[in-house]
Amino acid sequence: MKILVGIKRVVDYNVRVRVLPDGSGVDTDGVKMSVNPFDEIALEEALRLREAGKAEEVIVVSAGGDECQQQLRTGLAMGADRAIQVKTDQQLQPLTVANAFLKLVEREGAELVILGKQAIDDDNSQTAPMLAALWGRPQATFASKVVLEDGKASVTREVDAGLETIEVDLPAVISVDLRLNEPRFVKLPDIMKAKRKPLDVVSLDELGVAAAGNLEVSHFEAPKPREKGIMVEDAAQLVAELKNRGLL
Amino acid sequence: MNFAATIAKACPGLKLTTEPSVLESHGRDWSDLEGGAPLAVAFPNSGEEVRQLVLAARQTATPLVPSGGRTGLSGGAVSLGGEVVVSFERMRRIGDYDPVDRTVTVEPGAITQSVQQFALEQGLYYPVSFASEGSSHIGGNIATNAGGIRVLRYGLTRDRVAGVKVVTGRGDLLDCNRGLVKNASGYDLRHLFIGSEGTLGLVVEATLRLVDPPPPSRVMLLAVQDMNSVMNVFRRLQSSLALSAFEFLDDRSMFHVRRAYQLPGPLEEDSPWYVITEFDCDGEADEQAALACFESCLERGWVSDGVVSQSERQIAELWRYREGIAESVAPLAPYKNDLSVRISRVPEFLSRLQGLLSEHYPAYDVLRYGHIGDGNIHLNILRPEHVSRQEFKDRCEDISQKCYELTAQLGGSASAEHGIGIIKAPWLGTTRSEAEIEMMRGIKNVFDPDGIMNPGKIFERPG
Ligand SMILES: Cc1cc2nc3c(=O)[nH]c(=O)nc-3n(C[C@H](O)[C@H](O)[C@H](O)COP(=O)(O)OP(=O)(O)OC[C@H]3O[C@@H](n4cnc5c(N)ncnc54)[C@H](O)[C@@H]3O)c2cc1C
Repeated sequence: MKILVGIKRVVDYNVRVRVLPDGSGVDTDGVKMSVNPFDEIALEEALRLREAGKAEEVIVVSAGGDECQQQLRTGLAMGADRAIQVKTDQQLQPLTVANAFLKLVEREGAELVILGKQAIDDDNSQTAPMLAALWGRPQATFASKVVLEDGKASVTREVDAGLETIEVDLPAVISVDLRLNEPRFVKLPDIMKAKRKPLDVVSLDELGVAAAGNLEVSHFEAPKPREKGIMVEDAAQLVAELKNRGLL
Repeated sequence: MNFAATIAKACPGLKLTTEPSVLESHGRDWSDLEGGAPLAVAFPNSGEEVRQLVLAARQTATPLVPSGGRTGLSGGAVSLGGEVVVSFERMRRIGDYDPVDRTVTVEPGAITQSVQQFALEQGLYYPVSFASEGSSHIGGNIATNAGGIRVLRYGLTRDRVAGVKVVTGRGDLLDCNRGLVKNASGYDLRHLFIGSEGTLGLVVEATLRLVDPPPPSRVMLLAVQDMNSVMNVFRRLQSSLALSAFEFLDDRSMFHVRRAYQLPGPLEEDSPWYVITEFDCDGEADEQAALACFESCLERGWVSDGVVSQSERQIAELWRYREGIAESVAPLAPYKNDLSVRISRVPEFLSRLQGLLSEHYPAYDVLRYGHIGDGNIHLNILRPEHVSRQEFKDRCEDISQKCYELTAQLGGSASAEHGIGIIKAPWLGTTRSEAEIEMMRGIKNVFDPDGIMNPGKIFERPG
């Protein structure tokens, strides 16, 4: 079985993001970029499935400009067998990515696609469900545990009420949650080996996918900074201050 | 009039407490040292209140113990009995920031981590960093000249202090250096107070220099075969990478930190030594340089394996293996040493130390880790279950004696960054000459003629 894993290049989770002064986006100049943390978890799960003999090949895929090859190399160093870059310089929307992944699934004959439950830059959470719908296959989202057996995936999901376990027939799409696993560290010798692993580049056009334009971002805005607190002397002053602000 | 009455008269608003729980908590620090109950604990709100406290202490011949975050490891903030502890908990304002000078003026009770945070908010960086930064105070950092994991690039607390206001043991308020970059006007008293462990006076304000934030970085954790290789790796990495930290730990340290925090092994196989190093990594070229370094260390047999962070989160995860050590063994009440020698002498030092330990104390569990890039080694010795506390202490003092003799032979220091405090006072003479100690006592006498400032610290109490 082949597993396809999506990897998105995003501003590192721990970086304090700054909105550009004109509100057109977020400043990424000189900012640390990393693999979307959920995608790292997705890849870790795929690697564990391969190591457990449940899959033969793990392919990492990223859509974007050449800079995302860096994240694909990270995926290869973590242990993926090969990588594919869907090359485009356009702004990507979830539907475009889902369409591109679908083409690759068909081309590669993948039976399982594991994706992050969301990308931390846009928090859309759309690619996995869209791909499942386009593909006409089941989806199991927000996985915190995955067991593959007899052509089925038993997936435990984190839902509001607790944990829910569902079973889906393969092929299927799984999106992963934070607690599924702890991704491994990348070994330096494996980074060296990763250089020799195949990284194919295919353009959106070549896949026959047109970039969707159904979403339009109007502007970005930073959250309002929290106002500084004041120290009150006693309960009476506290009440007075709250009244002053119309909070009581 | 006694102290309480004197200060109540001079400074009616000042909070002074004799509540037993506060006497208990504020009379000790992170060292396991048992002192004696203080007379009272004072919580001044301003430099002027501190001055009044010192004047009252002088008048009534009451010794004072300055107390910061109480994370000290040498008993510097431990009360020996009968002193008034001066806690700076209420003086934690982070005040004037000057973007042109790139300095920030803070009260002594400001927590190290909140100063780091403040610097980040200004787009700058306060580089003094170590595991206890969430509790330690700037005043305590200055009094101990705290170091930590970024000394390699940014130096010690001493290198960050542009100015310091102190109240001396005479009750004078001195404004030392006033934030100047250049000031060739005689003795720089500021530097006398840095590292003085509260024995000359009390720090009531500090002006700290901030620096540019470091560029994006990565952390490598390497498996290293022996101590000579650790130094070879250090040299090799330093020649091609911009290192901001270079730390080491042994297999016992790795064992304890993993056990305490349930951490997975960072590598497939265990190794006798590990290096954790952080370096600037701002793109392909830096990454390639790091890989090339690793390859050449691998070829020479210095390292056998290694991992490198791929995200800021992994940077934190890898640092945990180093930063968690001290706390991981804290419940076991280890006997701690904090030694330094010149960097070039580290391998010789460690191999002789190893010889000494295996000859005399083969059964002891000893953790060796530290800031190897600064020549600073921490030894933590754990008590075997079958050895009683008293016997353990005696044996450790004996080990210390031998360690300090060895350190002295190699021209090192008995206290690299934790201070002399009470615990190392008996061994001051292994690092400082008699003439030096006499000069130091003379200096103390000038600032603290009545001997009320943290007596029994640095210099042993007579008798
Ligand atoms: C887990 C752990 C890790 C550590 N790692 C490091 C490390 O890597 N590097 C390092 O250098 N240290 C380290 N330390 C030691 C300790 O954190 C430092 O010595 C720190 O600077 C102490 O600050 P504090 O505010 O806690 O001081 P305290 O312990 O309260 O006091 C330390 C000394 O300063 C004096 N003092 C405090 N405030 C004032 C003041 N306002 N005026 C005059 N004197 C004052 C006290 O009297 C005492 O002598 C570590 C400690 C722990 C527990």
